[in-house]
Amino acid sequence: MRLPQFTYHSPDTLEGVLALLDEHRDNAGVLAGGTDLLVRMKHRLAVPKVLVSLKHLDTLSYIKETSEMVSIGAKTPIIDVIRSNRVQQQAPALGQACERIGAVSIQHFRGTIGGNILQDNRCIHYNQSQFHRTGRQPCHKDGGKICYAREEADRCNSTCQSDGAAALMALGAQLNLCSSKGERQVSLDAFYTTDGIHPFDMQPDELLTRIDIPIVPGAVSVYQRLSFRSAIDYPIVCAGVRLVPDPDDAGCIKSARIVVGAMGRSPLFLAKVSQSLAGKRFDDIAAVAQAGKDAMNTAAAFAAHNAGAALPYRQAMVETMVIRALELAAAQASMKIAR
Amino acid sequence: MQTIDITLTVNDQQQTLPVKSNDTLLEVIRDYLDLTGSKEGCGEGVCGSCTVLLDGHPVRACLTLALEADGCAVTTVEGLADEDTLSPLQQSFIDHGAVQCGFCTPGMLISAKALLDENPSPDRQKLRQALSGNICRCTGYAKIVDAVAHAARPESGCPDCHTKDSGGDHD
Repeated sequence: MRLPQFTYHSPDTLEGVLALLDEHRDNAGVLAGGTDLLVRMKHRLAVPKVLVSLKHLDTLSYIKETSEMVSIGAKTPIIDVIRSNRVQQQAPALGQACERIGAVSIQHFRGTIGGNILQDNRCIHYNQSQFHRTGRQPCHKDGGKICYAREEADRCNSTCQSDGAAALMALGAQLNLCSSKGERQVSLDAFYTTDGIHPFDMQPDELLTRIDIPIVPGAVSVYQRLSFRSAIDYPIVCAGVRLVPDPDDAGCIKSARIVVGAMGRSPLFLAKVSQSLAGKRFDDIAAVAQAGKDAMNTAAAFAAHNAGAALPYRQAMVETMVIRALELAAAQASMKIAR
Repeated sequence: MQTIDITLTVNDQQQTLPVKSNDTLLEVIRDYLDLTGSKEGCGEGVCGSCTVLLDGHPVRACLTLALEADGCAVTTVEGLADEDTLSPLQQSFIDHGAVQCGFCTPGMLISAKALLDENPSPDRQKLRQALSGNICRCTGYAKIVDAVAHAARPESGCPDCHTKDSGGDHD
């Protein structure tokens, strides 16, 4: 499959990249690892006239830690995140999520953490070859007025299948976006538009430069996902959780963050379900089981039949993923107490 | 159409090539350099038959722009053998019958080489994980894993290869 034609730029500086994005805006594509963008370009789902490569921006590839947060440069390769001791200690859910992205030889060396968060929403009816798509009316995301995932839907129901985004949302991460006009911080919770066509609240001249993960003393985090094959495939359901123990009673949950991914246009932070665990004990099996059920009931409505597996199966598996993640997090917490 | 000169060190030979901006590394390797060992299967990063080493790391040549590889060292399957002498890994594939139609083999060999370069004696779990991005549709996974395991530990002998947990290598 040939790539469409484009003009290639590889600026040496961040300012150079931002100037090009400002000049070309919607006509520009940002190339980091290319494992998402180049596939979409081959399918003619994205046809940027200008590609701005981040090849020379090694300054965006780092993992740093302060007393308050772990900061990861957006261009950090997935493999560096997986192998980072800082991530393993302070944000294990992210490490677990990155391990599950694609396969070693696809994403881990070329793919970047920023690219994983910003991978476009997917749909089994949309992410097909140009030839396949010419056989039917275009869908909403393809410029038409039909949704094949949900009958009579008046909008796009594509799914955010990023592993990293679900884990980072559970960890309460913040994104740092730069443009030639300045920079801004946005929490991942507020980064999504709920529009399947343009899922991110981000201007075309903006570049994701950094991800900040707050360090919460004593917190444990876990990521769980379900996919057809253990490698290559995108998740069909995933869950990220972070549990913070009560400083006065380490066996008690002070606060929880439960995020369900691959079930909607963005990862879903389930605030009410998360709140229901506050004050509960880590080994409260009934509370965990109830949280799993509530998570399933809440997340089920957001999903469309567009990730391969039957929708009722994916909906049912939300409960399993959330319970597994909570149980593993509780086990981590009890190990921490034992130490 | 934009044409840019790039320098690639392919299998230890440095070359300067004029490439188009939308050429992938795979197109350059196959069409410009006639190194047709690396295959284009799916062309979208799923099957792994185009896997090459870029500065020692396994990557999909079909999803790497030639321009992005400028200045890098590329190892393709043609770079594994020493003239007419196959590498131990290649020989092990033959000895174990790990090649059926052969289309996935270049990618399998490269992924396996990347693993063994980094970890000379991986356990089976690590080995299968390293090969998990390569698809074989002739159902040869068990023998491929056996072949790589044997190349990693030739002293362990072959009788072991076909019995130990090879039933779990189906995809």
